[in-house]
Amino acid sequence: MKPLRDRDLLRMALRTTLLQATFNYERQQGIGWAWALEPALGRLVPDPGTRRERLAEHTAYFNTQPTLASLALGAVARLEEGRARGAGPDADAIARVKSVLGASAAAIGDPLFWFTLRPFAACLGVLLAPASLAGGALALCLCYNIVHLGVRTFGVGWGYRLGPAVLGDPLRGRLTRLTRLLAIAGAALTGVIVATTLVPGGSPRPIVFQVALMAGLGVGLVGAQRGRPSPTEWALGVGALCVLSTMLR
Amino acid sequence: MNLAVLGTVVLGGVAALDAVPVGQIMLSQPLVTAALLGGIWGDWHTALEVGVVLQLLAASTMPVGSRTPEDYASGGVIGTAVAIALAAEQPFAMAREASALVGVLVGLVAATLGVPLIKWQRRRNEGLSRWCEAELRRGRESALTSAQLAGVVFAFAVGVGYTAVATALAVRLLGPLVSHESLRLSRAWTLAQPLWIGLGLAQIIGAFIQRRLPRAALFGFALVVAWLVLVLGNH
Repeated sequence: MKPLRDRDLLRMALRTTLLQATFNYERQQGIGWAWALEPALGRLVPDPGTRRERLAEHTAYFNTQPTLASLALGAVARLEEGRARGAGPDADAIARVKSVLGASAAAIGDPLFWFTLRPFAACLGVLLAPASLAGGALALCLCYNIVHLGVRTFGVGWGYRLGPAVLGDPLRGRLTRLTRLLAIAGAALTGVIVATTLVPGGSPRPIVFQVALMAGLGVGLVGAQRGRPSPTEWALGVGALCVLSTMLR
Repeated sequence: MNLAVLGTVVLGGVAALDAVPVGQIMLSQPLVTAALLGGIWGDWHTALEVGVVLQLLAASTMPVGSRTPEDYASGGVIGTAVAIALAAEQPFAMAREASALVGVLVGLVAATLGVPLIKWQRRRNEGLSRWCEAELRRGRESALTSAQLAGVVFAFAVGVGYTAVATALAVRLLGPLVSHESLRLSRAWTLAQPLWIGLGLAQIIGAFIQRRLPRAALFGFALVVAWLVLVLGNH
């Protein structure tokens, strides 16, 4: 059995970009996961029949936050290496570790990437867009992808080196601190956006605009306490009301 | 014009890919697609107006757990493209605001109608997934790559098709309305735009603050300081 090389880990990292290519309700990221793991199994399991069996095992249900899936992928590659040597866990144990890693990665990744980093990057883009729309869009992409692509590219290597302990306390602590810092910076950033929307370039907007913005903020903050109606349904309702009110005048 | 239409439709496919199946590098965010459409059509102003509103509303839509979120990837492309296409036919600035209003509304409707389309796509992928596993067990290892490629091509085709059909329909059906009711619609825009921005910002503020008093205080402090800096700087 040959050990995994950096090249194999890099190929796996590149393949994580298609983790959700066949995302579905039954197995969610299962097929994408197996495809991303294929370079590792190709190296570790020379017998084609056994390799296909292993790949088929990995097409089972799997779901997690897609960026942090890289860490779980590296950790599972390490377990598969041990299994190929005959010293590692069996298929059931690997499936259990996969499930735990998936849940842990989602618990850390969802608050970081979906609830904090993406809205933060969006706010940065929106703040810069009036000066340059292209600049705002670029800032949004850069801000998000410095973290996203960094973890995607190097995460497989970290997972491989640390094994299933990769999502243990040290990394969990660092990512949780990053989430908290981004949320604090985001709170300040949204304050700046509200100010620049009210008085762009120091010239106050018309009073109707200011009152409507504050009304939108108020309704939105109250609406955010409940799941339904969703923000999109609120926006559709508000838009329809505005059109109707001006049509009926 | 034809190249711009082609670029818009292809961008719809690229955005649909970036949203879930490939990469998630934020190319599908409405502000990014608006910037690209602004460049393609040469109308940065309308793209900015629509892109900012849709981006703020999209930022609070989370793809978490089993929930299928609104499809702002397609909504962003379709809404901005409709606004720019309608604005291109209008000679007055007022009609451009009417186009922006219609663009945002179409974007919101397209994002909402995109949900059943995504669900349908995911159900089709279930068949692909079962086929792949059966082929693997039969001895065809390349089935994994084939399934992945099929998933990507399928998502791209759905994105392209949805963008083309929805944009063409909206421009055709709503063009006369914008021409005849531009005055009223532009008045509605002056009211709807700040309300939408407020609604979107409120969701984001809620996500950042999470009922923590120090963060709420920081938000207020930043607002007041930025406001003072802007107003005093102007004087």
